[in-house]
Amino acid sequence: MVDGNSAKETGREGITRRRFTLGMLIASIAGAFGSLLALLKVLAPEKKGGGYATTIQPGDVLIYAKGGSAGSPITASSMNVGDAVLAYPTGKSSNPANLVQLIKLEEAAFKPPTDMSLTDKGFVAYSAICTHLGCTVSWMANRESPAASFTECFCHNSIFNPAEGAKVMGGPAPIPLAQIGVKVMQDGTLAFTSDFKGPIGPQV
Amino acid sequence: MIFKWLDERLELRKFKEKFLSKTFPTHPTFLLGETALFSFVTLVATGIFLGFLYEPSTTMVSLFGAMVPAAYASVVKIDLLPMGMIIRRIHHWSAMIMIAAILAHLLRVYFTASYRKPREINWLVGLSLWGTAMIGAFTGYLLPYSQFSVTATSIAYYMAKSMPWIGDWMSRLLFAGDFPSDGTVPRFFFMHVMLIPAALIGLISLHMLILIKQKHTEPKSNKDRKEAQGGRRLIGIPIWPEQAVISLSFFLFLLFVVVLMAAYIPLNPIEMYGPPSPGTPVMRPDWYFLVVYGFLKLVPGDLVFTILGGKITPETIGGVIFPGLNFLAYALVPFIDRSKEPQPYMENPLHRPFMTSLGIGAIIFLCMMAVAGYIDVLHITPRAMTVYALVATAAAWSVSYALLRWYNGKRGNNAKA
Repeated sequence: MVDGNSAKETGREGITRRRFTLGMLIASIAGAFGSLLALLKVLAPEKKGGGYATTIQPGDVLIYAKGGSAGSPITASSMNVGDAVLAYPTGKSSNPANLVQLIKLEEAAFKPPTDMSLTDKGFVAYSAICTHLGCTVSWMANRESPAASFTECFCHNSIFNPAEGAKVMGGPAPIPLAQIGVKVMQDGTLAFTSDFKGPIGPQV
Repeated sequence: MIFKWLDERLELRKFKEKFLSKTFPTHPTFLLGETALFSFVTLVATGIFLGFLYEPSTTMVSLFGAMVPAAYASVVKIDLLPMGMIIRRIHHWSAMIMIAAILAHLLRVYFTASYRKPREINWLVGLSLWGTAMIGAFTGYLLPYSQFSVTATSIAYYMAKSMPWIGDWMSRLLFAGDFPSDGTVPRFFFMHVMLIPAALIGLISLHMLILIKQKHTEPKSNKDRKEAQGGRRLIGIPIWPEQAVISLSFFLFLLFVVVLMAAYIPLNPIEMYGPPSPGTPVMRPDWYFLVVYGFLKLVPGDLVFTILGGKITPETIGGVIFPGLNFLAYALVPFIDRSKEPQPYMENPLHRPFMTSLGIGAIIFLCMMAVAGYIDVLHITPRAMTVYALVATAAAWSVSYALLRWYNGKRGNNAKA
């Protein structure tokens, strides 16, 4: 109040020195921080293609995704009814979107909405990436009655029925796992025959 | 000699008179906040050790003939050092204890109504400390870059991404691109060792400064004595030397317990989880995330709706809205249960039927959500678990309310008679 310039003290309206300084201060703080907002753009890198983009081509041979024989081709004779394995297309195992669960069931066990044209000799394959939050699904084998086996995601216990087009039987997954075509080749290995019939990965 | 030299320059005597002789009221539950503080000290100390040896990179390197991410390899090497694994376990256990101690401290403050005027601000600072500590713990999950790390972080990434409107951008900002990307580990490392500890130190300092300014709440048993003295001074022991000795021995005892736990109870065995690989084993988060983890299992998958062009999915509900509403509810506590006059004493929880029963109901609800994290081993369907959780919560709330009302009615009659 030494300057006697405050509007309060002098009763003068309009711009005073104090108000002007305050305005300048607010404007400079807003400007300084506002300019920093541009950095947020830099800190969030642009999408590289985004989400799960599969690179599976029809004709790709299925190989074991994990375990001792990881990388070697899966043979039809090595799997019994009620078995399931995680598989990649050969040479494309660095892309998690390519991970599928290959399952062998009784041919008579399949029910709609399973796409029968995408199955062969009881073999059916689905994306192995849970549609909830992206964990890899596991196979809950039932040795006594293979038809009662099911696919489960251990992260939040979503359950899928492979005999019914991987329909969601329980848990938080929003949509079924996408089916993909497989067939048994003449040399006994398995190969993909189509692309995924539906979206894969978390539906967010 | 040294004291005199320092005193002439820093006026230590004045500092001692002003701060070190401040009174500290005594009550066993006043050690809960100290437990959190001392766990943080242990975390910083062990974190410095780990920081010297850890390599924040996902470049593939050779470890015993196998190609694994450099971050994973560096943590395996830490585990192989003499005392290396025990330091890592002390770090992890201290984080769990710190978060538990903050929770216990919050509950103590809640049930004794110590959040009321003038301490509303410190209640909010305390809540922020709790949240920040959990974010700190979470960013630490990813660093060993094991199968567990990657799965847990991937889940959080999709929860962030599921947010309507801002999710896509927000997830790329937090995780430095689409997870898993090469940028995620360095970014989480920076947050874990720099940003979050700095935020915690800032919040702890603020918490302490407000505490010194406002003075500690006192046990109600001090009331008569204090009024008899007619003074405004707290009744308790001075910080120096009495409280300092208690605190120091308590710190050392806590350290002893943590070292014992670290020595005998395995924790986050990354060698067992292995480096990232296809296939997700059964894994559960640390205890403080069980609530969100369990809740995620209960939200039905078909619960999707759209508001103003933003898609609200079960992941958003479970991962963002549910924790957000929880924190909002806790933050509102001191503004719902208000008092006009400053409250210097702790209340007896038994004399506050409404707030105490509400707290008990909330505890039971959160416990049931944690139990929901185990529906797979308990063989309970999500729907049944939802019903159990709601029934248990309602029962705990109403029964405790009825009992407390009855108790207070009896107490009132006794007082009259």
